[in-house]
Amino acid sequence: MFVIIIGGGNTGTQLAMLLINQGHDIHIVEQRPEVLARLHQELPTEAIYEGSFIDPALLEQAGIREANVVATTTTGDAENLAICFLARRRYQVKRTIARVNDPRNAWLFDEKFHVDVALNNAEIMARLIEEEMSMGDMMMLLKLRRGEFSLVEEKIPVGARALGTALKDLPLPENCVIAAIIRHGKIIVPRGVTIFEEGDEVLAVTDSAGARKLATLFAPD
Amino acid sequence: MNIVIVGCGRVGAELAFRLYQHGNRVSVIDHSSLAFDNLNPDFRGHLVEGEALNRDVLKRAGIENADAFAAVTNSDPLNAVVAHLVRIVYNIPNVVARNYDPRWRSMYESFEIQVVSSSSWGAQRIEETLYYTEIRCVFSAGNGEIEIYEFSIPPAWEGHRFSELIPGSECQPVAITRAGTAILASEDHVLKSGDIALVSATLNGIRELRQRLARQES
Repeated sequence: MFVIIIGGGNTGTQLAMLLINQGHDIHIVEQRPEVLARLHQELPTEAIYEGSFIDPALLEQAGIREANVVATTTTGDAENLAICFLARRRYQVKRTIARVNDPRNAWLFDEKFHVDVALNNAEIMARLIEEEMSMGDMMMLLKLRRGEFSLVEEKIPVGARALGTALKDLPLPENCVIAAIIRHGKIIVPRGVTIFEEGDEVLAVTDSAGARKLATLFAPD
Repeated sequence: MNIVIVGCGRVGAELAFRLYQHGNRVSVIDHSSLAFDNLNPDFRGHLVEGEALNRDVLKRAGIENADAFAAVTNSDPLNAVVAHLVRIVYNIPNVVARNYDPRWRSMYESFEIQVVSSSSWGAQRIEETLYYTEIRCVFSAGNGEIEIYEFSIPPAWEGHRFSELIPGSECQPVAITRAGTAILASEDHVLKSGDIALVSATLNGIRELRQRLARQES
């Protein structure tokens, strides 16, 4: 895949290195001289384009017309929005991803400015911390999409309410699916008749409200 | 009219005061309260300190009841983004943005926003004035791509036709004023020394016209 990253700060650089390691083509655009000096030490020179983030000539030189994805990671929300808008409107880029700097501006990062995916660091952090505080032994394995759903893992402790109950009789929360059970190191595909045992590790896909209810179900009585 | 302005630098403060003087209700948003010092002490209006992309800040400025909106900060991305958002979210029909850096003017075209490039327009007017002071620009269309110029016919052009003086496709006759009365000018109009001529022209057209006027005089 060919990805253009706008902004070579920490976020942009991390993303660039990750994508290069996965074998993707990336070009990165940066305008700040002090950031460029560091960027040249970390990334191949031919991937770096120097100049204003919002210069159409530079974006074209960086190959925006051929890009599969444009990711804007600058520290300016207006810049990120304007670039996503131009990427779609002027260059028909299929997918745009934008970093949200000020959470109060998050409401703009959608189809209004042709942003397909908004990455709101502050919100993701706040949600993670909230969940870490409230979920006890439950572990977050993976955030799905924009962090509304996640894959969680919970070990069923001694004396849990769900012990001895079949899956079909368990009052599962609405937005929650048990995806797999790990028993004695082996994966069991859960069926309605599967009965929970002590020490089972349960993998579930759930939203955050579902995760809290699940935690109560699996807590000791 | 209820008018919201984002940016209270030199342009914003001047615009706010002019609109206020002409009887409009004006709200001015700036992220720094120090910027409000730019306003004329006689200005009366609503001052809102905050970031223009913040919904609450826009609401406090009365965006929901605004008839017109101007984005005149010194950031082109911000002007374009906030102008676009008030148009599509709050359906404000009359939206104008200031283009700060002429290099980024084309961005506004993608957003389809009315734009005033104050720096390139100013530079162009100064350039024209430096070349030839006897031709005055009296009206600018768009961002100065076409302008209407006024000048008096020098004695050397007495008896010539208007079409001989004006350079073809990039310059067209508009009107001739003789003895205080204006008439619509045609290309075969015969000129008299002291006539006041009005033409519409591009920058190239007026440059050529200046050369013709100067050639005849020497």
